[in-house]
Amino acid sequence: MKLSLDWIKDYVRLPDGLEVSRLMYDLTMSTVEVEGAENLSDRFKNIVVGVIEEIVPHPNADKLRICRTDIGGGEIKEIVCGGVNLNSGMKTAVAKPGAFVRWHGEGGLVEIKNAKLRGVESYGMICASSEIGLFDLFPFKEEATIMDLSGFDARPGDDIAAVLGLEDVLLEIDNKSLTNRPDLWGHYGIARELSALYDVPLLELPEFSLPSGVGGIKVVIDDPGRCSRYLGVKIDGVSAAKMSSFVIQSRIWRVGMRPINALVDVTNYVMLAVGQPTHAFDSGNIEGGITVRKAGDGERLILLNGKEVSLSPDDLVIADDREAVALAGIMGGVKDSILDDTTSIILEIANFEPIGLRKTAQKHDLRTEASVRYEKGIDPQRADQALKLACSVFASEFPDMNISGCYDNYPRPLERIQIDVSLEWLARRMGKRLDDSEINRFLDRLGFSSEISGDTLRVSPPSWRSTGDISIPDDIMEEVARLHGYENFEPTRITATFERSINQRDMDTERGLREYLSYRCGMQEVFTYPWVRDEYLDAVFSDREGMLEISTPPAPDERFIRSSLLPNLLEAASGNARHLDGFAIYELSQVFFDRNFSAPYDERELLPEQRRRVTGVFVSKDAGVAGLFRRAKGTVEGIQRYVHVEPLSFIQTNRPHWADETVWLNISSLGGESLGEETVIGSLALLSKRSAMLAGIRQSAVIVFDIDVESLVPLRSRTNRYTRLPEYPQVEYDISMLFGEPVKWESVESAALGRRVAPDLVRSVSFIDEYRGRQIPDGKKSITLRLVIGSDKKTLTSDEIEAAAAAVKKRLSKQLGGEIRT
Amino acid sequence: MSAALKEKLARLREEGEASIASASTTSELYNVKASLIGRKGALTNILKEIQSLDVSERPEIGSIANELKNHLSRLAEERDEALQLAGSAVPPDFDLTVPGIAPDGGALHPITQMRYDLDDAFRSLGFEIFQENEITSELYAFDNLNFPPDHPARESMDTYWIAGHDSGRGGDRLCLRPHLTGASVRYMRTRKPPYRFVYPGRVYRNETTDARHERAFFQYEALTVDREFPFSAGKVMVKSVLDRVFGSDVPVRMRVGFFPFVEPGFEIDMGCLVCGGSGCGVCKHVGWIEIMPGGTPHPNVLAASGLDPAEFTGFYVNIGLDRLVMMRYGVDDVRLFHSADLRFLSQFK
Repeated sequence: MKLSLDWIKDYVRLPDGLEVSRLMYDLTMSTVEVEGAENLSDRFKNIVVGVIEEIVPHPNADKLRICRTDIGGGEIKEIVCGGVNLNSGMKTAVAKPGAFVRWHGEGGLVEIKNAKLRGVESYGMICASSEIGLFDLFPFKEEATIMDLSGFDARPGDDIAAVLGLEDVLLEIDNKSLTNRPDLWGHYGIARELSALYDVPLLELPEFSLPSGVGGIKVVIDDPGRCSRYLGVKIDGVSAAKMSSFVIQSRIWRVGMRPINALVDVTNYVMLAVGQPTHAFDSGNIEGGITVRKAGDGERLILLNGKEVSLSPDDLVIADDREAVALAGIMGGVKDSILDDTTSIILEIANFEPIGLRKTAQKHDLRTEASVRYEKGIDPQRADQALKLACSVFASEFPDMNISGCYDNYPRPLERIQIDVSLEWLARRMGKRLDDSEINRFLDRLGFSSEISGDTLRVSPPSWRSTGDISIPDDIMEEVARLHGYENFEPTRITATFERSINQRDMDTERGLREYLSYRCGMQEVFTYPWVRDEYLDAVFSDREGMLEISTPPAPDERFIRSSLLPNLLEAASGNARHLDGFAIYELSQVFFDRNFSAPYDERELLPEQRRRVTGVFVSKDAGVAGLFRRAKGTVEGIQRYVHVEPLSFIQTNRPHWADETVWLNISSLGGESLGEETVIGSLALLSKRSAMLAGIRQSAVIVFDIDVESLVPLRSRTNRYTRLPEYPQVEYDISMLFGEPVKWESVESAALGRRVAPDLVRSVSFIDEYRGRQIPDGKKSITLRLVIGSDKKTLTSDEIEAAAAAVKKRLSKQLGGEIRT
Repeated sequence: MSAALKEKLARLREEGEASIASASTTSELYNVKASLIGRKGALTNILKEIQSLDVSERPEIGSIANELKNHLSRLAEERDEALQLAGSAVPPDFDLTVPGIAPDGGALHPITQMRYDLDDAFRSLGFEIFQENEITSELYAFDNLNFPPDHPARESMDTYWIAGHDSGRGGDRLCLRPHLTGASVRYMRTRKPPYRFVYPGRVYRNETTDARHERAFFQYEALTVDREFPFSAGKVMVKSVLDRVFGSDVPVRMRVGFFPFVEPGFEIDMGCLVCGGSGCGVCKHVGWIEIMPGGTPHPNVLAASGLDPAEFTGFYVNIGLDRLVMMRYGVDDVRLFHSADLRFLSQFK
């Protein structure tokens, strides 16, 4: 909302010497956020009144003239101008060098400099109204019409802003912060608030006494629930052909509305002044009386903007005896509102219920200045202010006007409430005790009536604060506190009792997992949206089974809500693969299923199954599948140790749709002895060629792991065990042997370890390397394993070490056909 | 005769000591040593003269010569060791400007980093962490939070409702949560007061996106509920956390603000860290940046949580994590947070 400070000052006497910045600060701290202030005259710097003394032809151009122009201070300047309405003796606007104008009213602002136009030096520029942003106040039809200020009392050299009364400050108020304060809409509302903040007098609106006993108009309200008041005033002797006075035009223009004609401008002026929308009908077109009623089913109405709407009983209309003439509180009908030849009007000042009105506005996609205000809720008393102001402005714009009818139908007067507040409670909540008299004074300044008896403060809010904004003691506390000034409350120390330390294993697990993957495994955490593009769903799933959908999705192909993190991670991988040859990313977020609805917190609601998962994607152009797979596998294997959760193991029971036919494993929540499908909490696999192609990832190996985070069982504490350091030396002994391709490491390891009935000198066996290539026959691979050999009882001799290793080699060749590489 | 030999040996001792000490490389030392006590060295030459001595004089000279040989030999050995340990292990042209090998590290998402910083700050004040589901019902997203039945946020233009579960009301109407505040009621309904907890998470709004608006963004709410908690204590809570996160004394101010679920409500501003409060482009020249809404939980919210609003009060804040991170690093486009673009994310190691 834009406000003119000049206009506000009509209604409040602000403290002497109050700086605009101070006013902005105080309103922001205590009432509403002021987002900015514009000094209106800044727009017109270096633009002055010039009087054209003499016009001579331009030597080199037919359409241009040279105007010898008096710009004050005794200076006559030559200005080249192509205006079509140039006249000697004419007063106009001259933009001197340094002024900013918009060439021909278009494009950005340009600074005026001395220039040669077709060979003739020109000092600045004689302006059209559109070039200095004043087209709305000085409209013209023919192109190149320059501004004619002859009607204004001005001397050459006077600043345009001063001559036009535009020395004003425009305040920009954040509309969001007005949401619960409909009383602040309009200049009068803000003036009233400022009078409370600064404890300065609020000035009265102009008085106007209605002629008594006028009838001549009838208003029926069929639905008082949706219209608590309707004031209809018939005014004759007006004219739509007349423009409003410059002051009215200028004020409504400053705060963002365009002057139309005197009738429309006055209704807008009233709304901008007191926040009450009004509407004017051409009384000649109103047949019989005014009825506020529900629309008929299918009833049609053509609105002022030319749009035809089809109505239903949910919509409230203003009707005459024949048909609907306006959509109540939103927009008038085109047929019966002000027309070019209107000379008599019925002015509507009404109060409509906000909720139904907003639904109607939304249904028909109509948001108007009026509907926006009604939607916030307006107190019905405000109609009185609007009436007085409207009548007095009409009277000054149309001295011959005559009020020939007036009807105030007010079926549902505003109910004033009383709120009792305990003073002891108030002091406790504020952390500070204020004097009773101070509290009373604050409330009084805000228009509240209040009295104190004992511990009870009894408060009654004023009509303009009775639309729902003030209803409980907490609201009264806020009023008192903000008038006292939030800055004047000293911070209060927080006291707390200590009961126990915070121990949240599940939170630690989630954080531990993220930190493990990021810091130990070199993976980058990402976040992706919960909705998924269809093309990536197709890459991962065979159908949409069990997925939830958004009813108004961000895009038509992003309807589905993820039941897996993988599709969006593949999209992320595909995007990053354009810049990077190798990377690893993961996301830990929730996924959602259209199943297993339950009431985890409250039996009144049913929520779908929602689980936290962690999904990682390793991508590499260079590393082979085997290397990348080992990295991913190591990452998964490390979780139990580094994140401190119950052990995991790998099984193969259920290949994910997206996984390669060969390279896939399921992750089981049971370590060691792995059981069946029911223990599967995730998978680790190579992305299938088909999925990779559909996800747009080419020429890279992609390994994925995907784990249900909620199935990880945090350990109560660390479970690391201490093993005594060996007393006697242990040696590492590497063996490389050739095996047939079908031989798996698992069997190599178990054969190498043997049956281990007695304490064995081979303490451990580990995988070092696997090799295929030159020197290795087809169908074979070389595996290098490392034994650690040692004894608890003595230092082994080299013969004993060789014998232990030989036993391993023997087992490997006997059981698995291993051959020593030569 | 014998005196002359003694004299020669004494001179050799002096010269020997000096030349060993001045040998500057091991090969030079080797030559020096050979010239002193080698087979063809000076000592050998001197000893040749021993033949001309009286037999009775020979043992004394012999023993002097022997001692001298041992002495020089020991000196040469010491010098050799010193020369071997002195100097660099590599040639002097070793290039020290070659860059180091970077550790192969990933990183947490910058939002997660900020979240954990806040977790640490709040945990140090004794707050628990709470997380809830991202799909919630109208009952928890709006009804419990004192949103009027006709509040615009309840409509599909603002909130992502779930198809097939969007026709009913309250507990039957499901959506992607539009804010976190509903979670506070879930927490309070399942635990006993007093409460101190934070509940971070992602929320969703049906919005048109641009550099400053996102459909998915991160919030961080903190709530304390107790029998005594004046709103002026809220400022202490906010300031303690911001001080810790930003590592400096952050000015905080509370001004009037309206949110359905608090009364009174506040907009909480922090002093602009870019200009130190004197005004700059980042703070739109006011010296303050709107950082979070907050306030005392509305009595209706406390009642929905099963508490007696006459007995309990508290303080609530909602921190916009995206905004805070944008400020921390000067990020100018909120959409980058969901871009999964490693060129962006890898900057925050």
